[in-house]
Amino acid sequence: MKTPEKPKPPALANWLASKFINKALLEEFFGDLEEIYKDRIAVKGKFYAKCMYWVDTLHLMIGFTSFNLFKTQNNHTVMYKHYLLISGRNLLRNKVYSFINILGLAVGMGVCLTISQYVYFEWSFDRFHDNFQNTYRIVTNEIQGDEDHVYATSTFAIGPSAKETIPEIKQFVRIVMVGATVAGPDSIRPLNKEFLHMLFVDNTFLQVFDFPLKLGNKESVFDEKFNIVITEKTAHKYFGADDPIGKTLTVGGKWTTERNYTVSGVLEDLPINSHLQFEFLMPMESRPGAAIGSYTNSDAWEWDNIVTYVTIDEAADLEAVSKKLDRFIIQNRGKRNTHHHVVEKAVLQPIMDIHLKSGSLLHDYLVTSKGNIQNVRIFSVIALFILLIAWVNYINLSTARSMHRAKEVGIRKSIGAFRKQLIIQFMTEAVLINLTAALLAISIAFSALPILSGIVGRELSLSFLQMPVFWVSFSSVILLGSLLSGLYPAFVLSAFKPVNMLGSGKVVRSGSINLRRGLIVFQFLISLLLIAGTYLVYKQVTFMKNKELGIDMEKILVLKGPRVNLDEANLKSIMQAFKTKAAGYHSISDVTSSATVPGGRAVYGYNSFRKLGEPATQNQDGNLIWGGLNFPEVYDFEFLAGSSFTPEMSNGDGVVIINEEAVRVFGLGSPENAIQETLVRIKGNDVLRRYRVIGVVKNFHWHSLKDGHIPYIFSFSPGVKHFISFKMNLSNIPESLAHIEKTYKSFFPGNPFDYFFLDDAFNKQYQADVQFGNLFLAFTTLAIFIACIGLFALVSYSATLRIKEIGIRKVLGAGIANLMILLSKEYLVLLSIATVLAFPAILYWGGSWLENYAFRIDIGFDLFVIPASVLALASIITVSYRTYATAKANPVDSLRKE
Amino acid sequence: MKNKGLGEFEELVLLAVCILDKEAYGLSVKREVEKHSGRSILLGAVHITLYRLQDKGLLRSEMGGNTEKRGDRRKRLFTITDAGMRQLRAAQDVRRKMWQLIPQLKLGL
Repeated sequence: MKTPEKPKPPALANWLASKFINKALLEEFFGDLEEIYKDRIAVKGKFYAKCMYWVDTLHLMIGFTSFNLFKTQNNHTVMYKHYLLISGRNLLRNKVYSFINILGLAVGMGVCLTISQYVYFEWSFDRFHDNFQNTYRIVTNEIQGDEDHVYATSTFAIGPSAKETIPEIKQFVRIVMVGATVAGPDSIRPLNKEFLHMLFVDNTFLQVFDFPLKLGNKESVFDEKFNIVITEKTAHKYFGADDPIGKTLTVGGKWTTERNYTVSGVLEDLPINSHLQFEFLMPMESRPGAAIGSYTNSDAWEWDNIVTYVTIDEAADLEAVSKKLDRFIIQNRGKRNTHHHVVEKAVLQPIMDIHLKSGSLLHDYLVTSKGNIQNVRIFSVIALFILLIAWVNYINLSTARSMHRAKEVGIRKSIGAFRKQLIIQFMTEAVLINLTAALLAISIAFSALPILSGIVGRELSLSFLQMPVFWVSFSSVILLGSLLSGLYPAFVLSAFKPVNMLGSGKVVRSGSINLRRGLIVFQFLISLLLIAGTYLVYKQVTFMKNKELGIDMEKILVLKGPRVNLDEANLKSIMQAFKTKAAGYHSISDVTSSATVPGGRAVYGYNSFRKLGEPATQNQDGNLIWGGLNFPEVYDFEFLAGSSFTPEMSNGDGVVIINEEAVRVFGLGSPENAIQETLVRIKGNDVLRRYRVIGVVKNFHWHSLKDGHIPYIFSFSPGVKHFISFKMNLSNIPESLAHIEKTYKSFFPGNPFDYFFLDDAFNKQYQADVQFGNLFLAFTTLAIFIACIGLFALVSYSATLRIKEIGIRKVLGAGIANLMILLSKEYLVLLSIATVLAFPAILYWGGSWLENYAFRIDIGFDLFVIPASVLALASIITVSYRTYATAKANPVDSLRKE
Repeated sequence: MKNKGLGEFEELVLLAVCILDKEAYGLSVKREVEKHSGRSILLGAVHITLYRLQDKGLLRSEMGGNTEKRGDRRKRLFTITDAGMRQLRAAQDVRRKMWQLIPQLKLGL
């Protein structure tokens, strides 16, 4: 379908070159570069061509900027050339130190860059819409007594009525999502669709959101009632390379008979940084079973699972708009709310906040993968920490090495160097090192990005490299780094008196030892915090995975139930026959069906319940789940009182099994007392249904351990067909699967056979935590690495300073072990200081992170001991490698001179 | 400093410009030199040398000859000046004279 993309040379390289190279030369250079680029693509492939393009561009830049710089030969340029020359020589003379300095800085900056890209990506969500700053989602805040919930949804009526009466509101769009199957003209069996991907929207959708249309007309795509707009990817899936416009898609499902929709528009594939991720858009009017016609009907104010977005006039006062919306709600829903003792308020949530700041919102079905502002903040801090560690390395090393250069400074001063010139000299060195590191850092970031994408589970690219803003901030980081790391040595060294430096007897103090110690403690401290963080995340995730859930999830295979070609009238008996037939196989011990399975979202949301005979003020939310026969047995619930469903019961009996939490919340007394009590389910003001409690089971973890226990009400519903769970023997999976598939196909022809293993699906809930842990681990490793190479360099340096002392000690009989302890004990003391300082920080941050989890580990002593030992081990290895060599050296070598 | 003569790479570039005769620009010179010398050369090195030779007055240049392959950009076409030709010849003479001074025996190797 796509024509091969025209090879474009890297725009970034061009942009960079255009900043450095004389305008007059650019035309021919770009021409040559593009020509050679195309040749290289043809011969060696795109990657090679791209790399070489960069090499060539940088080469030209270096060649032609220095050309101009050194052509004028006045005193200043000569001096600068000299500074550069000396800096270069210094770098080359101390290869190990320069290498460590540059490598440490480069890794630090590279990590920082990679994290920044991640943070930028998370931040960039929904900012591609033209009018993103004035687009808001109306979310609903309900306060009932102590309970304060924010729902992502609002009522069907609020959008249109608000537009009509509040002049500041320019436009609105409502979204309803449904689950359905969609069949193309050629597909024999309907493709099963996630319900998130099918949206019924108002025809203003494309005015509020800027999803560019590839085919079709923005004004008229929703003109006909049965028009459908699909994305490019979806078009390709259903129609291949054909032109999809005017073609028919058949949409069907549980809620409707099948209907034909005509494709009227194709959207370009949605940007991955959009919180809306859908495949089909259909006009709101075509919504099936539309009992509520117009938004002016009074029940439009009752239908409250709609997602509403509005655009608001730029100049409007948001506060005032919210007030007007609240007044609206009071007018139309006031009676209902007073009855329930609910205070309801409309909140305008900016769409750019949706991705990162919707963590606590309920009923937020539209947002598939939420970001976490907390993680973004944590990683930004880590990025900064790593950069700081790298800078600290540089400061430490250069002050430590300052004694080496004392003679040089002395001579320079005595032949007439001004202090200013010395400072410039040292600053030039710092800039040179930082700049080299920065260039390396960019390539490190390039290679680290795929790894990060893998861990985060999103395709990231270094897109912000193409933004001028980035280069401005990157250069200021480099400048700041050079200042931070260069300033101290520059001022300390240039302040020395030449007499002291050149005199032989006097020892020159090489910078402040306390400063250096302080910085090492700081490095240790940060490393400790990072290790403790990694350990904490790891421990919590392991805890959650291993915790006894109260539900048996092993050996359970879940089959997504049939959706099409159903004989609705006899469904119950067909289901029963299917279950009996399937359970007849030797490896399958039990079969049940239910509306949802552990780990799955509660499709029907929360329902209000109260104990029969209590007033409406006692209404509480409970999770209602329809379960078939054997449901408690398959999942191995532990009964505290009462008994399970029996085949004699029927749907109409309204019998339920509840958990301990429900007993507590609805005030049913002890589990034994709860048996035969009646719960009533409420909708609006009406009692919808009564349920008789026949059993109470122990609390279990239906969801991840992040959430606390909530009341569960399992209602007996023998015909439920959403998910069918098989408890089976895992010895011969393929054979059992084949049996189930065969049986399933014979009972429900035309339905896809779509299954999963429950424990896998359940553990996916912890994916985000595992990812978080992995990222933490990666960054921690890097931070420790940088800190260790800094330590290594510092120790080797201080060892060379004390080489004579060590020689003398050795001659007098000191053993290698003694000498090693002598050289390393200073660092161990610093490490213990850092450990003590880390105590409160770990306690505070660890505690606040753990608060996200309803079931969590305790912060134990191991949280301090383990990080400290890991760090102690790492630094002892680093230090002793160096001290051993020093201690082993022959004292004759160090003492014979002088 | 002034009449230092030609560097080895400068000589190769000058020769390539002569061979290419009015079709000499950065990339074609690079290809020509690579073809004959068998080593790979960076584009930037060629450009720097071309400009240096122009500054020394051995080459002159004008813009022209845009093709679609170059994104419709013009090339800078280099031609050799009289001074350039003289330098080349001088270099050639020096070499020839020195070759002739090598004893016959050694040449067989």
